[in-house]
Amino acid sequence: MNVILVMIPLSLLLMIGAAIAFFWAVDHDQFDDMETPGLLALDDKPKHEAPRS
Amino acid sequence: MNAHVTSCWHCGEPLPATDVVHAHIDGVQRSMCCHGCRAAAEWIEQLGLGDYYRLRTQGALKPAEDLQHHHAAWERFEVAQHVTRDLGDGRRETMLLIDGIRCAACVWLIERALCAAPGVTSVQVNAAAQRARVVWQEPTANLPQILHTLSRTGYRALPLDAQSLDDLRRRESRDALKRLLVAGFGMMQAMMYAAVLYLGGVDALEPATHELFRWLGFLVATPVVLYSAKPFFRGAVRSLRAHQLGMDVPVSLAIGLIYCASLVEALRGGAEVYFDSVSMFVFLLLAGRYLEMRARHRAGDLTDALARITPRFAQRQLADGKLERIGIHELRVGDRVHVSEGGIVPADGVLTNDSCRVDEALLSGESVPVSKQRGDLLIAGSVLVDGTAQLDLKRVGADTELAGIATLVGRAQAERPKLAQAGERAAARFVARVLSLTTLTIVGWSFVDPSRAFSAALAVLVVSCPCAFALAVPAAITRALSVLARRGVLVVKPDAVEALAGASHVVFDKTGTLTEPQLALANIETFDGVPRETALRLAASLARLSVHPAARAIAAAYDDTRFETVADMRSQAGLGISGTVGGRELRLGRADFAAPGVAGRDSSCDEAVVLADDAGPIAMFRLSERLRPNARAMIDTLQGLGLEVAIASGGAEAKVAEIATRLGVREWRARQLPTDKLAWLQALRANGARVIAIGDGVNDAPVLAGADVAIALGSGAELARATSDIVLAGERLDSLPEARAIACQALTILEQNQRWTLFYNLAAMPLAALGFVPPWLAAIGMSLSSLCVILNALRIGHRSATRDTAATVGAPPIASNVSAA
Repeated sequence: MNVILVMIPLSLLLMIGAAIAFFWAVDHDQFDDMETPGLLALDDKPKHEAPRS
Repeated sequence: MNAHVTSCWHCGEPLPATDVVHAHIDGVQRSMCCHGCRAAAEWIEQLGLGDYYRLRTQGALKPAEDLQHHHAAWERFEVAQHVTRDLGDGRRETMLLIDGIRCAACVWLIERALCAAPGVTSVQVNAAAQRARVVWQEPTANLPQILHTLSRTGYRALPLDAQSLDDLRRRESRDALKRLLVAGFGMMQAMMYAAVLYLGGVDALEPATHELFRWLGFLVATPVVLYSAKPFFRGAVRSLRAHQLGMDVPVSLAIGLIYCASLVEALRGGAEVYFDSVSMFVFLLLAGRYLEMRARHRAGDLTDALARITPRFAQRQLADGKLERIGIHELRVGDRVHVSEGGIVPADGVLTNDSCRVDEALLSGESVPVSKQRGDLLIAGSVLVDGTAQLDLKRVGADTELAGIATLVGRAQAERPKLAQAGERAAARFVARVLSLTTLTIVGWSFVDPSRAFSAALAVLVVSCPCAFALAVPAAITRALSVLARRGVLVVKPDAVEALAGASHVVFDKTGTLTEPQLALANIETFDGVPRETALRLAASLARLSVHPAARAIAAAYDDTRFETVADMRSQAGLGISGTVGGRELRLGRADFAAPGVAGRDSSCDEAVVLADDAGPIAMFRLSERLRPNARAMIDTLQGLGLEVAIASGGAEAKVAEIATRLGVREWRARQLPTDKLAWLQALRANGARVIAIGDGVNDAPVLAGADVAIALGSGAELARATSDIVLAGERLDSLPEARAIACQALTILEQNQRWTLFYNLAAMPLAALGFVPPWLAAIGMSLSSLCVILNALRIGHRSATRDTAATVGAPPIASNVSAA
């Protein structure tokens, strides 16, 4: 049972990490537009590597 | 290799018979329809973005002529301040509304073309909202340059107000997403720890472990209650301050009670804690609100089109007669402005020159331009078709009619759907009842067994599930909206779903709704034995130089490519055009202009045009409106669904009668003014009918407003689309019966959901009050009832999906953009 004492704090830490990552993503426009990236066709062999923002 | 090429490489429109332009793109010669297309294609090639043509699934928008000198006006300080925002370090930001985003490749092309421009640091394109957010470094780049780059690539862009940058909507949705996620995480963890406790009840747990898991539950539920549930608490405080009992009050009371009671229980080592239930409670309520917010924002994106139709610049006439190009917000009442042919009237004003013709399609939906005389009022947003105009401004900015309508539209959008409001009120009433039942339980148990009073009361609070009530409506509406959007029916006001399902009458505004917006040539009558072909060729040669709808119809009817050379072409506003062909002066236009003395119009056609030379009339062209394809089938289906179909038109009696007969519509009225139409609708509604009005004009605004649901066609006037409840994408009239079927299904399912929740609660609550429900059962019951509601909502659109696959083939492009609504 003692392993629980390690696993539970670990799971809590992971969850906090995930929440922080998600907050970061929301604040960096990752969830503002859920449709456009899906529309962007995947180009197999990009001929031109244009600068991305 | 060009022998069989019939459409333009860039825009995909048919190539003209003459003047085809060629360009070498990627080493291959391609044909284009005009120099605009060639310039755009060459520019794209030059940027190294030729892949665009491979990626795209639709032709590009035909580029407008480059308005570089117009772009320069954006540099004016007053204007720039209005539309851009300073980010510090010389970086500026703007939001552009971009016309012509048609598919994913457009997004690709715009992002790359702009990023390649020096000084541009970030570009984000949102295809669904047709917007791009651009950040650049001054002075390496500037707004005119960015607009110029876009227009060279073939897109028209319009900077929006700087206010749109700090988009309220964006902040709201980010905030909601974060709270939802915290609640979701907390709920999952709390349920895991609770599961240990429940299973421990079966398989006796050490007291210390038991205690540990309780406090773990408390640990994860705390951020859920204190952070995620904050909007409920804040809303409750706000409504209490306003001395009202809003829906947030009972909800936050329940959240607070369950949380605090569980904490007390945990502290004193009592029987049960409910940290898992309170987290789930918050999560499900937030999920309902999030769904509803998405639907509301989607509607907002659709109607931002209003911004596009308001002009941004005006030409002000200075005292010395010179013209000055200024931003529209710099205009003042009393200014004299000049509008050139093809320009948009910037503000409401009185015409001071003799006459002109304006296209008020924006406001009226009528494709036929209206003549204005000196002293008439011109309304902001109308397009000048012939001649130029000088206006003395009477109303500017927020006082114009256009701005007034825009404000109304905006206000309507901020409102929450009535159904959702009703749903939430039901939930609030329900919670209030649950709270009184809880009090009763405590009182009751304190007489029987005071030690169990607290846990029984908690069980009542938990097992009762207002979440299902709160989710029932948003889940069903959101699902219905997304199913409809996929079928090309864009619901602007979510309330319309309910009204659509309940309607008993459909009233069509005939012009432009059941007929094609363009006139078509009905017949040609020639004089003095002139061959029909000759007359048509002469007329078409003249007509193709004009943009008048009648002229366009004649030019379109001529399918040959041999045109006569026309010299000395003149156009007379409201009358017709004249020109010299082979030394002979020809006139084409109204009968009294071309050949006085010939009877022009008769009642069987919409417009008659006479071709004549000095010797007399040569031919008369009768033009009429064509029925839209599918109009008949759609009306049959509607009548089959038990709806009364009627036509109310402003047109002439004979014409309306003919169309009504062809469509099998028994009830029709002709020569109706908007007030007549409104009176008729009111009479219908007074007799208990629920009316759907379908129109494409906003001169019918009162009519549309007088109906229970207003539906506009996507191809109609932009303003009509903005003020209506539902927009049919493209010209797909046939999606109307289907939309009604889906709306009916949505309402049925919504009712099922509500009935189911009521049933579940009535069954579970007495048991809980009597102390028969252990906490794990309460938690399962609560989540299952919410899950049922959501799964039931997902059934919307399933039944008709199989039946109507044939009808959805060839869905318009817009459907793919909105299907994820």
